[in-house]
Amino acid sequence: MFASLAVRYKCLPMSGDKAAIRGWTRTQSRLGRQAARPVIIFGLLSSLLGVGQAWCVATVLGQGLIGFVSGAGAHPHDLWPVFAFAGLAFVRALIMALSDTAAAKAGINARRRLRGEVLASILTGGPALLRKTHSGELTTIAVDRVEALDGFFARWVPASILWFAAPLLILVPVCFVQPHAALILGLCGAAVPFGQAVFGIGAAVASRNQFLAMTRLQARFLDRVKGIATIVLAGRADEETQRLGQAADELRQRTMKVLRVAFLSSASIDCAMVLALVVIAITDARQAMALLSGGASPALAATLTGGLFVLLVVPEFFAPLRSMALAYQDRAHAQGAATAILDLPAPAPRPSPEGARTVNASGVTISLEDVCFTWDPARGPALDHISFTVPAGETVILAGPSGSGKSTIMELLLGFIQPDSGSVRLNGAPLESIVPDALSRMVSWIGQKPVLFAGTLKDNILFARPDADEDDLMAAVKAAAVDQFLPSLPEGLETRIGEGGFGLSGGQAQRIAIARAYLKNAPILLLDEPTAHLDPATEKSVFESLQRLALRRTVVLATHSAAAHMFNGRRVDLQSGCVVARQGVA
Amino acid sequence: MSNPDQHTRTTHARAGAPASAVPALTDCQAILRILALWQKQAARLITGIMLALMALGLGLVLMQASGLRLASSVLGEVVITTALLRWVGGGRIILRYAERLFAHDAMFRALADLRVWFFHSLAQGAAAGLGFRRAGDMLSRLVSDIGTLDGLYLRILIPFACACLTLPILVLQLGQQSVALAGVVGLLFACSAFLVPYLIARSGRAEGERLGKNLASLRIGVLDLVGGLREIRAFGAEGRILAHVQADDASLLAGQMRLARRAAYANASAFLCGQVAVFLVLLAAIGVFSLHVSPLAAVGILFLTVASFESAAALTRAGLQSGAMGAAARRVVEVAASTPETVQASTQTDAPEDTHIHLEDVKFRWAPDRPLVFDGLTLDIPQGARVAILGPSGVGKSSLAALLLKAAAPEAGSITLGGEEISHIRAASLRRRIAWLSQATHLFDDTIRANLLLGRPDATEEDLWTALEEAAVADVVRTLPDGLDTWLGEGGIKLSGGQGRRIALARTLLTQAPILILDEPATGLDAQTEQDFLRTLNNVTKGRTVILIAHRLTGVESLDRIWRLSGGLATAAAA
Repeated sequence: MFASLAVRYKCLPMSGDKAAIRGWTRTQSRLGRQAARPVIIFGLLSSLLGVGQAWCVATVLGQGLIGFVSGAGAHPHDLWPVFAFAGLAFVRALIMALSDTAAAKAGINARRRLRGEVLASILTGGPALLRKTHSGELTTIAVDRVEALDGFFARWVPASILWFAAPLLILVPVCFVQPHAALILGLCGAAVPFGQAVFGIGAAVASRNQFLAMTRLQARFLDRVKGIATIVLAGRADEETQRLGQAADELRQRTMKVLRVAFLSSASIDCAMVLALVVIAITDARQAMALLSGGASPALAATLTGGLFVLLVVPEFFAPLRSMALAYQDRAHAQGAATAILDLPAPAPRPSPEGARTVNASGVTISLEDVCFTWDPARGPALDHISFTVPAGETVILAGPSGSGKSTIMELLLGFIQPDSGSVRLNGAPLESIVPDALSRMVSWIGQKPVLFAGTLKDNILFARPDADEDDLMAAVKAAAVDQFLPSLPEGLETRIGEGGFGLSGGQAQRIAIARAYLKNAPILLLDEPTAHLDPATEKSVFESLQRLALRRTVVLATHSAAAHMFNGRRVDLQSGCVVARQGVA
Repeated sequence: MSNPDQHTRTTHARAGAPASAVPALTDCQAILRILALWQKQAARLITGIMLALMALGLGLVLMQASGLRLASSVLGEVVITTALLRWVGGGRIILRYAERLFAHDAMFRALADLRVWFFHSLAQGAAAGLGFRRAGDMLSRLVSDIGTLDGLYLRILIPFACACLTLPILVLQLGQQSVALAGVVGLLFACSAFLVPYLIARSGRAEGERLGKNLASLRIGVLDLVGGLREIRAFGAEGRILAHVQADDASLLAGQMRLARRAAYANASAFLCGQVAVFLVLLAAIGVFSLHVSPLAAVGILFLTVASFESAAALTRAGLQSGAMGAAARRVVEVAASTPETVQASTQTDAPEDTHIHLEDVKFRWAPDRPLVFDGLTLDIPQGARVAILGPSGVGKSSLAALLLKAAAPEAGSITLGGEEISHIRAASLRRRIAWLSQATHLFDDTIRANLLLGRPDATEEDLWTALEEAAVADVVRTLPDGLDTWLGEGGIKLSGGQGRRIALARTLLTQAPILILDEPATGLDAQTEQDFLRTLNNVTKGRTVILIAHRLTGVESLDRIWRLSGGLATAAAA
């Protein structure tokens, strides 16, 4: 049980990665702070305006009370504090709206930047990334993980400055009005980070202890729902429902264990605020009582107004601390995202190797010389000293069971991976010395299941060469026999296919891939089990189209279909990464 | 035989589209339905709300008491004692903590109930069909929808209940001084707590829907980019695809900015309502507009007003989220609500011992607007027979399996098992007799052992290895460091496609069902392994009915009968 858990979670950050995560968070905070500068300035202004308003209110109430005490019922009231209050309120509302907007903008800009970086990373990593990471997971990183970072930039980053800057700023006027109240507020305020730290660490420890179990239980629900048909048809729905109920209950108990400690940290803010309120109310009241014996003296008025002012300022003082506590979970999200993002390769454009070059594009000879490649050392080499040559314009069939290394050879030829030793050469030039753009211009590739992008059929074919004109397009459509099934589509070439569009059969999809290859007209054609998912009749007609496409091109065809004999070419038999037989002179 | 209406409901729900036959729920109805499901936790949920109300009440009292304590001192009397202040303060802290803890606990209980209910309804209803259509993405969206609903209680219901309590307190307290002032401030409070959130919720709904669509199209774009990495690299299309995705991203972010701006103004107006209220109280304190309030009372109501409006601010946020919440509730309720089979539960029987399968003149289509898959299909599969059903992809081989398993119902015709109409047989009982290995059979994110045990929970270690042996995957499992306890990972990604299929096959073979439907069991195997494997299959399935679905035969299968499907009919081919 524990062993399997360890296997399951070995992808989680180990202590060595923690520094990387911290570094990432720090870099992002620095970038975020620049964007959050308006939010911070507006936040400080808003606090100051709040202090001003409190002063206005305290003045009005203080004058009223003093007037009441001195018995002068018709004491002339100043109207200015009331209208000053209203004016300040207006400005403050405006500033709050500006601050909210600026925060949203900071979050949006940061997400735009990060999403761009993540997508660039994914494109840099290329197909080799899909071996390690599920495509759904990568999509989640680029879409949802980045989306969840909004709070980090819009709330946490400004809050991480404001939580100490705003209370300190508020303390200045308080200090002028009532130094002893400033001291009380300052002490209570200082206790908050202390409490936060103590309980925050406690919560972190608690959540570290619970984290694995929580993740596992959450993933379990999603997984079971995805496989619900399998469960129902196996007749295990009731057992699984029950087990799910238990898992959900366990999840609750574990979450509550974390929250019990985490809520203490917000309770510590409540505690500090209540303490400040009560102590200030009592000390000021005592002072006022003492001064009362002297009648309505200016000192009494000052104490009263000052006391009311400080009481009104207390919530303002603690508001930034509260926002920080609320934004703390946004920081946790950022760390989660950091783990996922740091796993991606650095988003650098592939460096063009020294002396990069292009290769004469017509008539390419492919040769593999003593190539070795290992995906996972635990499983042994995927390719073990493979050598063969495909002369220009000829075809080599790679045969062998699944896992024998056919796909690995394809990935090498596509330049998705580099050999551990040995070399892959095109017309004698090592593959890694060829500019990626030039390589992609020379190679057409058709896999088991072509990816059809969301868009029209025409867009999907033009994907191979967006600047192709109508004649080229129609020629490719005809050559790939796409025109044979066009009449069955509702809108012909303009039919929307892919995600959320019209579904095409496997054979039809493969014809689109062939049309792409015609349109691209590259000298090398790599075919990776192009008929693996087709029935024999379709397979035969797809192979016929491929034969026409293969004319005068250098072709590598990986297949274990018996129908491959239609291609008259050399044949290389692979088994567990070794060449076991050759036919023709390969 | 299910009636046509039921049929429509099943297929629509299966396709994941809002079922047109089910009257579309409004957000409000969906939320009420969710609340009804939470009945079991009602006591806890209500206690959570009560605690929140008490904590809020004490909060208001504390603010007011502090002000009064100071103000009353000028009158030389102590209206508020130090002890009272301490009690109120301490009580406030403890209640607030208790409220948070209790409310979260209640909410997690309610969510757990909701998840179990959701899973159960899916399992009861349309779920079986989900395996025939790739609905995994829709389902994962629903899972996150359930997560979204945690805000319903914590962020909408509780603040709403608190605002409902605050309003009368505020009005009563102010009313003792001046009825006019109480009326105006009460109105302002209602504006700030109810009207502004309502308006922002209403205006946010359209924008929210648009945002949802934008997010979906961004997701599709990114999925295309990730899924098409090979194509993109092979065609050198990095720049073009990136530009395309970033255009989607830009329109999503622009929409979010519009919404954020609107939210900022809503927040500011809710704030201004509170400020106007304070302004009026101040005017009253001065005695303008013949609103006369005694100075001491003015201090009390001022502090109360400030604290009340602060508590109402949470509702503007709630209004912003209510659109998303309503949509989530609607999706969850709609998908789970289509449970067509429970209707007939009372009249159903257990599956008979005899496993003779007979289909007579069956007509079937997946949805009314789709073409017929079967048009008068007739098949006879005797007990213990080994038959193959051949045909190119898309001809309805999987639909046949769906019909036999009651994951779909025919439009016309009859399907019998041992002479009994399968529509009269309880689905669970039927499915215990038929084991099915489909193209979409799910491997769970669990150990190999747990995956196998789904087939037969009481299987021994020996049984497991036998099944793995029969499925020609035992050697692979033996080389894994943790053997049977190796974690498969999501969708079995730690194994190759072919190996995963064979684990799934082992699970199917492990069941003791007398009928096996094997849908392309040899996909992903090379020719030699495939033949070995099919030969093994001849031996291990002795005595069971085997329905082999394939697009071609290798010639080593020993079969009693072969049918070829085409044009919605089955024609016998040479055995």
